[in-house]
Amino acid sequence: MAHVSVPMYWRTIPQRYKLIGQKCKKCGSVNFPPKGVCKYCSASSEFEEVQLSGKGKVHTFVLISAGGAPPEFAEQEKAGGQYPVAIVQLDEGPKVIGQIADADPKEVKIDMPVTTELRKIYTEEGVIRYGFKFVPARK
Amino acid sequence: MTIGISGYGVYIPKLRIKKEDYSKAWGSFSASGVGEKSVMGFDEDVLTAAAKVSKRALESVPLTPDKITRFAFASTTPPYIEKLLSGTIMVSLGLPNTALSSDHITSTRAGTEAMLVGFEHVSANPKGVALVAAADAPTASMWDSIEHALGAGAAAFVLSSENLIAELEGHASYASEHFGERFKPRKDELIHDLNVKKFAESSLISNTTKAGNALMKRLGRKPEEYQHVVIQQPDARVPGSIGGKMLFQEPQLASSLTSKLVGDLGAASTPVSLAAALDVAKLGDRILVVSYGSGAGSDALSFKVVSERKATVKFQQEVDRKEYIDYIKYLKLKGAIL
Repeated sequence: MAHVSVPMYWRTIPQRYKLIGQKCKKCGSVNFPPKGVCKYCSASSEFEEVQLSGKGKVHTFVLISAGGAPPEFAEQEKAGGQYPVAIVQLDEGPKVIGQIADADPKEVKIDMPVTTELRKIYTEEGVIRYGFKFVPARK
Repeated sequence: MTIGISGYGVYIPKLRIKKEDYSKAWGSFSASGVGEKSVMGFDEDVLTAAAKVSKRALESVPLTPDKITRFAFASTTPPYIEKLLSGTIMVSLGLPNTALSSDHITSTRAGTEAMLVGFEHVSANPKGVALVAAADAPTASMWDSIEHALGAGAAAFVLSSENLIAELEGHASYASEHFGERFKPRKDELIHDLNVKKFAESSLISNTTKAGNALMKRLGRKPEEYQHVVIQQPDARVPGSIGGKMLFQEPQLASSLTSKLVGDLGAASTPVSLAAALDVAKLGDRILVVSYGSGAGSDALSFKVVSERKATVKFQQEVDRKEYIDYIKYLKLKGAIL
């Protein structure tokens, strides 16, 4: 399992629990997940925090099936079956990777509108690691 | 000062299992009146459900999270036995860290317990706004007949003195000592039930009718003055038997009979059923809520509907959004295969 220590996970809570991104003070681009230096202009490390809406569209995706899941997600695949992992283009600009929950894998499509909600990602060291997943947007 | 419900939200997980699947597996189904029930997905628990439904409740007002001064969480299925639970929800929603929070986890009465601490806060702080979330997915051994009814769902309420949908007219409680029914000894994650039916039923009836009747007496109410009567639902038959003792008729129980569609929601049973009643209530309607928790106790709350404003997502919409699973998948999701 890709070990993520408790303090390391804790530091990512603002981005994982509530999608706090950072807006570059120089070029205005929104970085998510947060970076040390703006990945768009590479010329600034000054940011202001912004609350992202969680809304976006599927840019591309892959379906994870038996044997394909990383160890921390193997049990999820065994209990719940095949699951989609997508790169989602958020309304604010950034492309973000995440699972799509509550969706029939056969019905996931490119450009499908999604939103985020809090889910259990996995459990390590007895600590439940919560974070956002994408879910299909309500019509 | 008038206080009450300013907003609410409800959430039912998407997965369902039918009564027929239990009958195929076990030869019988022991949850009276339950046709199917909701099941949480592998990546859900009561905290993720509470976070989702709290957001919906805030949106229904609408209200920004920074206005909340009190948060209360209720469930009988906490993911941790020791550790603050409300913090997860507060941080994911962006509620003020300075809001007093409390976790109510020891019986299915916890949902109304949380509502009442919220109301007490608002009543003592006229500018205060309480957010209360009840989420539950009770779990028992597959060998136990009490397991058949257990479903999953959540509801949340914004309580304040402004912009009310339903006014709180009064409340009453009753607590007593009973045992053997629905309990978890320390070191056990699963519900025990000694299955002494008559004994359990006498506790259920005596606690609920005492709380309910005390409230109606104090308010000078007759049973027929309520259009909606919301009663704790360990199964879909219980509201009828308690309601009958309190002289309510079946049509008064109909709008909140959620268990036939989603099962026993534990601490979220009366909150979700109250939300279902609010969804269809008309201006001027009166709603009586009577909860029950084993051990045993009951809370009764009386509301008057003062606005036609409804939640953005209704109980019926949540019920209609579903995907059926079979009993094997249900066992896997419940972690019953060790």
